[in-house]
Amino acid sequence: MIYAAGVDVGSTQTKAVIMDGSRRIRARALVDTGANVARAAERAFEAVLQEAGLRREDIAFVVGTGYGRFKVTFGDAQITEISCHARGASFVFPGTRTVIDMGGQDAKGIRVAPGGEVVDFVMNDKCAAGTGRFLANAAEVLGLPLDAIGEISLAGKNPVRLSTVCTVFVESDILAYLGQGKRVEDILAGVHKAIAARTVSLVRRVGIEPEVTFTGGVSRNIGMVRALEEKLGLHLNVSPDSHYMGAIGAALFALERAESGVLSRR
Amino acid sequence: MAQQAMGSRYQGRIHLLQKELMGQYFQELTQAAENGGPPAAYMLISGNPVELVRAFGMLPVYPEVNALQLAVKKESLPYILLAEQMGYSVDNCAYVKADIGLFFNGLRAPFATFPKPTLILCNYVGCNVYLNWFEHLAEYTGATIFPLDIPFIRDPAQGPSEEDVAYVVGQLEELIAVCERLTGRPLDWERLKEVVRLSQQTGQLWAEIKHLTKNKPCPLDAYFDAVTLMGPLYCLRGTEEGLAFFEEAYREVEERVRHNIGPIPEERFRIVVEGPPPWPYLRTFRDLFARWGAVAVASTYSTVGGMWEFGFAHDPEKPLESIAMHMLYWNLTNRSLLLRYQQIRRYIEEWEADALVIHSVKSCRLFSAGQGDMREYFTKELGVPTLLLESDLEDPRYFSEAQMRNRIDAFFESLEHRKIRGHPVEAAVQHSNFSPGEGEAR
Amino acid sequence: MRAGVETAEEIVARCREVVEDLSFQTVREWKAQHPKARVVGCYPVYSPVELIHAAGILPVGIFGGGNQIEIAHADARFQSFVCSIVKSTLELGLTGRLDFLDGILFHSICDPARNLASVFQRNFPSLHVDYIHFPQNLASPLAEVYLTQEYRRVLRGLEKIGGQPVTEEALVQAISTMNRWRSLVRELYTLRALQPHLLPAAELYPVIRAGTVLPVQEHIRLLEIFLEGVRRREGKPKDRIRVLVEGSFCEQPPIDLIACLEEAGCYVLDDDFLLGWRWFLEDVPIDGDPVQALARAYIHRSVYSPTKHDLRRRKSDHLLEKVRTLGADAVVVLIPKFCEPALFDYPLYRRALEEARVPHLFVEYEEKMWIFDRVRTEVETFVESLLFD
Repeated sequence: MIYAAGVDVGSTQTKAVIMDGSRRIRARALVDTGANVARAAERAFEAVLQEAGLRREDIAFVVGTGYGRFKVTFGDAQITEISCHARGASFVFPGTRTVIDMGGQDAKGIRVAPGGEVVDFVMNDKCAAGTGRFLANAAEVLGLPLDAIGEISLAGKNPVRLSTVCTVFVESDILAYLGQGKRVEDILAGVHKAIAARTVSLVRRVGIEPEVTFTGGVSRNIGMVRALEEKLGLHLNVSPDSHYMGAIGAALFALERAESGVLSRR
Repeated sequence: MAQQAMGSRYQGRIHLLQKELMGQYFQELTQAAENGGPPAAYMLISGNPVELVRAFGMLPVYPEVNALQLAVKKESLPYILLAEQMGYSVDNCAYVKADIGLFFNGLRAPFATFPKPTLILCNYVGCNVYLNWFEHLAEYTGATIFPLDIPFIRDPAQGPSEEDVAYVVGQLEELIAVCERLTGRPLDWERLKEVVRLSQQTGQLWAEIKHLTKNKPCPLDAYFDAVTLMGPLYCLRGTEEGLAFFEEAYREVEERVRHNIGPIPEERFRIVVEGPPPWPYLRTFRDLFARWGAVAVASTYSTVGGMWEFGFAHDPEKPLESIAMHMLYWNLTNRSLLLRYQQIRRYIEEWEADALVIHSVKSCRLFSAGQGDMREYFTKELGVPTLLLESDLEDPRYFSEAQMRNRIDAFFESLEHRKIRGHPVEAAVQHSNFSPGEGEAR
Repeated sequence: MRAGVETAEEIVARCREVVEDLSFQTVREWKAQHPKARVVGCYPVYSPVELIHAAGILPVGIFGGGNQIEIAHADARFQSFVCSIVKSTLELGLTGRLDFLDGILFHSICDPARNLASVFQRNFPSLHVDYIHFPQNLASPLAEVYLTQEYRRVLRGLEKIGGQPVTEEALVQAISTMNRWRSLVRELYTLRALQPHLLPAAELYPVIRAGTVLPVQEHIRLLEIFLEGVRRREGKPKDRIRVLVEGSFCEQPPIDLIACLEEAGCYVLDDDFLLGWRWFLEDVPIDGDPVQALARAYIHRSVYSPTKHDLRRRKSDHLLEKVRTLGADAVVVLIPKFCEPALFDYPLYRRALEEARVPHLFVEYEEKMWIFDRVRTEVETFVESLLFD
């Protein structure tokens, strides 16, 4: 059996996936990226090998992706997470034509062709508005764990209106609303709504065509899934593996290259 | 080949010659600042009447060129910060801030010292920020300012009207009177015609070079190498040295065409680049494209100072009229965004490009405001793969290499996949506008 | 029209409704009642509305979407570093809210606004989009000749929409009507400068802004009644500082932000809201060629503005003169985020104000602002620093 791996080094977490020749995911691993990016890639790879019960030499090809892809020193090739998320999303949901990827640092909209290749993509501009970072800031101001805010936001029946999606100024907006006695769930519903609006507007630039698949770390936030669905008027594909999508795409690329005999540059 | 020895980047005789000439030009400015010299006329690059300034024996000084030199040499930030301390906003054009900072630093830059202006000639051609910039310089220096008003090209289907031309010529006559007063001598019309003739010949050579980039491989990068040629084109236009440089440049580029030599070992993608470069990270930026085998075959930025490649030539027999036409119509900045779309479209078709890269700079909204619409037009109406990148032309704080690289890599990955699978680029993107359900008024 | 029975307070409330209605219901109703009538939008700052009136067309001020609109399409066209009004105006268009317009005029304010004219041309091909290039060499006698020609060119476009040639009589009539309208507005501003406690800026602003939407004759009657009502008001001034507001000549601040300035302890003696509609310091003369008269008035009788680079006199001198004439305690420089012309004027203003020892506060805002706690704290602190001095 042939095996290939994808390692997705993101700004907060590093994900690794091993896939076999029948395109079955054999193992997954997730570690916090931390300050030492190369080390994080190394750790994730070790963890996924252990999980799969394989040794390094069993892996025919490794593709690194994500911001830290050039730090995947043991990788055979580097491919951007845009290509990898598109490929991963099409693999898991073959009807995918549009991918919304939200990570800690950026948000992306990707138009994909039936085979999973990128037709067009857009990314958020310089500011972190509309990304996981924005949600993390909101959670911090409210003194809530990041994992909890999505669920809480669902209880908000009267979402507040944010006058800004600026990561810096959202803090003063939230404090002002707290001062006015607004409920935490309504504030959070407002935060999710504002980001959803901004994201949909971003993705619209590549043209939104169903099916739409939501990937990246923020896709685990149920509040964001619902807010996006409401804004789009569409159902979103969200896989339990959604935050592994980049690594899955990378593993698929790795497998293709291994099968077509592309030589490892290792 | 010589340029191979220098790395993957084309470095020919003209690059060396350019360095030498620009060094001489800055030395001349420093000389005038320190030991006195001809009166200095501050001017803007875009469509300008440098021929008139030269005919009066005045020294042209370009605050934009000074600001961009600071950026290229990675020296711009302290000057920008100095201006911001004075109340200039983080959101204002950083060219202006660097230049204002330079002024309050006693006009001293690491590479030159600049003479104080005798005349501030605000030929603002479409850039409203120029008006502010020179208004400020006039207030700080107390020098004579002449706002040369150039009507914008309002109708994309037509050039300037006869009235517009007469209006500009009339102002040039007013300007001549001002220059006569400042220099204490009357205009030598024969000298003006001679300078205009030099500009005419220089412009023709430049136009021919720009048509040589239609060749495959493209002999020089029409963005990254074109900016090298732009220094002499602007700072030395209307001089014998300027003309000699372009004669040499034409010979070199033409020779490269004959020998099928391009700026990088293998030309894999032909791109058109829109927008000014990120001067503080010029090399880094260039390398991000070079590693994909992408070569610019045309660029809009190289037409800021004039659009000779589309048929403009100065006319020594009609010096004022042709200078007026240069300022009104034959430069990028006095034209509307829609005319720029047409220009880019022509480049993509006639220069046979695979894709459009838009470098959107925060400082220069003349260029950047609306580039999202440009992207919509090229991807959705014409099916041209288009990449939109954001940073700045002067302020190093707006350049993130990781973000740039990510976008550039993803873009060329997708172009490469399409090439490998043999999908024609056009077929990949359908004509999709907003659906009526989304309520777009059309 | 029931305007005759309205109190000043009712007029304020009605005007606010008109101003905040992003579907322009009043204009739509007017158009339904006048089936052959045409409407031309005026993007800030200044449009020669007399030309539009003379062509038998209703001019309507288009000032973006304020804080009532969600930007869902326009931010794909203009980047995050472009000011809000450019995007929100395009959003109004892309969401069909401007489909009552037959034309729209833009002019040389700044580069984003100029590029917006192109984006409108491309996205709304059936709309008559014109771009006026105002002269910037105002000391030259050529400027008047040029602007007269430019106005005639604009007029030819308007004649096409209006479907009839514009007569000199109609032009004279339009100038005299607008003279009347502007003189009423000037009267209100003068009254307010003398007794700001009787006429808060948060009231004056919507009342005048309604004049950019309603037919001019209707609004003139409304202003007359409002003026009477305000004159009858009584009250004593509170312990507040007297300020000039400078910097909001294009993108307009939310009405609640203006109210917030006042509640935080400021009396606004003068401001530059809706500046282009109040453009002339005195009447436009109606002798001679009316088009030339309008052009001449632009050059010799118009107010100083960040979009007009009049090198005959420094803008900061104008500002300082206003401070002295009105006896203001301070200047609030109220600038929309990313507004290049206003932001560029600021360092020169700052220099001049500091030299003249006039205190000032710099406040940045966006039209889409919705809560103002941060601004209020800034202004209150500033007011306290002056009152407790």
